[in-house]
Amino acid sequence: MAQLRQDYDEFVERETAVLVLGPENQQKFASYFGEHNLPFTGLPDPKHSVLKLYGQQIKIFKFGRMPAQVLVDKAGTARFIHYGHNMQDIPSNTEMLDLIDSLED
Amino acid sequence: MAQVELNAPAPDFTLADYQGNSVSLSQFKGKQHVLLVFNRGFM
Repeated sequence: MAQLRQDYDEFVERETAVLVLGPENQQKFASYFGEHNLPFTGLPDPKHSVLKLYGQQIKIFKFGRMPAQVLVDKAGTARFIHYGHNMQDIPSNTEMLDLIDSLED
Repeated sequence: MAQVELNAPAPDFTLADYQGNSVSLSQFKGKQHVLLVFNRGFM
């Protein structure tokens, strides 16, 4: 997440909101975000409601301990879905930023 | 039943952020793209 924080301005420039969801509770989120001074939106999901919502019917989108990213454009359409195969398997910011640039028709 | 399909509408949801503000995916529609990062733990 430090890397995401580093390039956060680039996402803002591209009119992209960054929402981080996780199974931790509100307190842990507040503590972590405060400690690391993270500028993005943190959404605690201890009931796994959104995790499950986004995990249904995508066979490879299993919510084990792997990270996942979904890019939604301004029309509300899911334009990119990535499921990580390990904890480090996260698309680079450059890749995501290029993707966002390509969304603009 | 909602599902995430490429090039299809992303399922809407509402959650409170860690500061207690209500955040819905639909609030960004027409205004901003959204990068959803499903974190698997802060460790």
